Amino acid sequence: MIDPIFPLTFPTDDLRLLTGILIGFGFGFVLERAGFGNARKLAGQFYLNDMTVFKVMFTAILVAMVGLYGLASLGMVDMSMIWISPTFIPAQAVGGFLLGIGFIMSGLCPGTSVVSMVSGRIDGWVTFVGIFLGIALFTLTVDWVPGLHTLYLAGSGEVSLLHEVMGVPALVLALVMVAGAVLAFVGAEKVERIFQAKRSPVELTPPSRPRIKLAMGGSLAVLAIVTLTAGSPGSAGTVSPMVSMAPLSLAESIIEREPGVLILDLRIEPEAEKGIPGAVAAGDPVMVIGLLNSTPEGTVVVTYDESGAFKEAPAEWPKTMDYRFLEGGLAGWRDEVLTPAAVWGSSLAERERVLRQSQISAFFSGAGVQSSSVTAPPPAMPTGGAGKKPKSGGC
Amino acid sequence: MKAREYWNPYVAGVILGLVLLAAYLVAGNGLGATALPKRSLALVGNQVAPEWTAQNTVLKSYVADGASPLRNWLVVEVVGVILGGFLGALSAGRLAKKVEKGPNISVRGRLTYAMAGGVIMGFAASLARGCTSGQALSGGAGLGTGSWIFMLMVFAGGYSVAHLVRRQWT
Repeated sequence: MIDPIFPLTFPTDDLRLLTGILIGFGFGFVLERAGFGNARKLAGQFYLNDMTVFKVMFTAILVAMVGLYGLASLGMVDMSMIWISPTFIPAQAVGGFLLGIGFIMSGLCPGTSVVSMVSGRIDGWVTFVGIFLGIALFTLTVDWVPGLHTLYLAGSGEVSLLHEVMGVPALVLALVMVAGAVLAFVGAEKVERIFQAKRSPVELTPPSRPRIKLAMGGSLAVLAIVTLTAGSPGSAGTVSPMVSMAPLSLAESIIEREPGVLILDLRIEPEAEKGIPGAVAAGDPVMVIGLLNSTPEGTVVVTYDESGAFKEAPAEWPKTMDYRFLEGGLAGWRDEVLTPAAVWGSSLAERERVLRQSQISAFFSGAGVQSSSVTAPPPAMPTGGAGKKPKSGGC
Repeated sequence: MKAREYWNPYVAGVILGLVLLAAYLVAGNGLGATALPKRSLALVGNQVAPEWTAQNTVLKSYVADGASPLRNWLVVEVVGVILGGFLGALSAGRLAKKVEKGPNISVRGRLTYAMAGGVIMGFAASLARGCTSGQALSGGAGLGTGSWIFMLMVFAGGYSVAHLVRRQWT
C-alpha cells in the first residue's frame, strides 16, 4: 500500500496559495479556448445548435472523476482531505434552477463571465457586476427573510457521495457514466446537426471531423480501460483472501484467553443479535482502519459477519496482521458453539470431542460448566483516527 | 487579424479535466468562481460593519478567527482565471471591446438581460453554495450528491426559459 501523497502538503501557506495562480491560469485559458468567453456560443447549448458546453463539461468531469477516484483506489489520495461540497438538497435544487435561468438570460455563468469580461466583452462585465450584486442581495437578505434562511439551511449538510448513496464503488459508477457519456456525445452530435440546419452556430466553431471523432472515441476508450484496470482485482489496491477459522477453535482461544487476538464484529446490524463475547463492533470502514492501525503488529484478527460471506481483507487494511474469518460467521458460531452437542459418538476420541463441545457451549451460553467467572478478555478499543476535514471550499 | 479557431470540445474537455484534477491533487479542492466576489463582500463588510459580518450566515465563516477573507486559495485561483482568460483571448486574437448578441436586440436590451441574469446567478450561487464551476464541475467530478442535483437543475432551469429569451440570440 502506498502512503497517500495527495493532496500535496506545502512548507508554507503562501506557497500553496501561489499554486492557485497557476491552476487558475490553466482554468481561464482552457475556458477561453473552448469558446466559453462568448455568451452566444454558451447560449447555443440551450437552443441545441451548439452543444459545446455539454461536451466540454462532461468530458472534464469524467476525466477528473476517473483521475481522482482512480488515484484514491491506488491509495495515493487521502480522500478525507479532499473538500467535496456538502449536500443541502432544497437549496441546491432551487439554486440550480435559478442559476440555469440566469445563465440563459446573460448567456454566461459566473466562471465564464470572468473570461468574457477579460476578453473585453461588455456583456461579460455587466454580468459580473450583476453577479456581485446578486451575491450581495442574498447576503443582505438571508438573515431576515425567514423562508430564505430556512431554505438555505434545510437538509443534512453532510458530505454525501453519489456512489455511496447508490452502494457501488466510485470507479464502477464512473465507468457507467463514461459509457453513458459516449452515447450522449453521439446523440449530442446528431442533435446539433439537426438544429444547426435551423440556426447556424457561432462562427469559429470547428466542424466535427472524422479524425477528431476518432480521437474522442479513442480517449474515452482509454478512460474506460483505465477505469476498469484501476477498479479490477489484480492491480494494486485490491482485497486479499483470508484464512478461515473454525468456530470451535475461536471458542477455545477465547476460553484460554490467548493473547494477541482481536475479534472484529463486521455485521451491518450488530444490535440484531448478541455477538461473540469480547468482539469489537466495527462501525464504519474508516473506524475499522483506525482500529487496525492502532492494534499491535502481528495480532490475529478474526473477523465475522452474519454468515461468513466476508472472506477477503480490504486493501486499506494494514498488511501487518494475521487476518482470519470465522467459518459460517455468527450463524456458524451459533450452530457449532452455542448449540450443545447431543449425540454421543462411539469412539473415545469422538466422545471426548463432544464432551468438550458441550462444555464450550455451556460456557458461552452462560450455564457455567467450568469456572463460570471466566469472561472473555475484552480487547482494548482504541479510538478511530478519522474525522479530519479540511476547512476551505466554496465556489 | 483573423481569430484562432476554438479548440475541439473534447480536447478542451480533457485538458479542463486535467486542470480540475490538478486542483484537487494540489490544493485539496476543486475550481470555483464566486469565492472572489463573496470574500470581497466579507472584506468590505468587515470594514464597514464588523459585528454584522461576524454574525451573517454567509459571511461569518470567512472572517472567523481574524483571518483575512481574501487569503484563500479559491480567491487566488480566480486571479489566475483573470490572467489565463486574458492571455488566452489576446493570443487567439479575440480581445475585442464588444457586446455579444443576436441581430434582433439592441445593445441596451442585451445588457439589461445580462444584468438581470447576473443578479439571479449571484443570488442562486450563494443559495446553492457554489456555481457551475464550484458545484456542477468540481462537485460533479467529486461525485457529490448535491452537486449532481444542482447540475441537473441548472440545465432544467436553462431549458425551461430558453424559448422566452431567444430574441437575444437570433
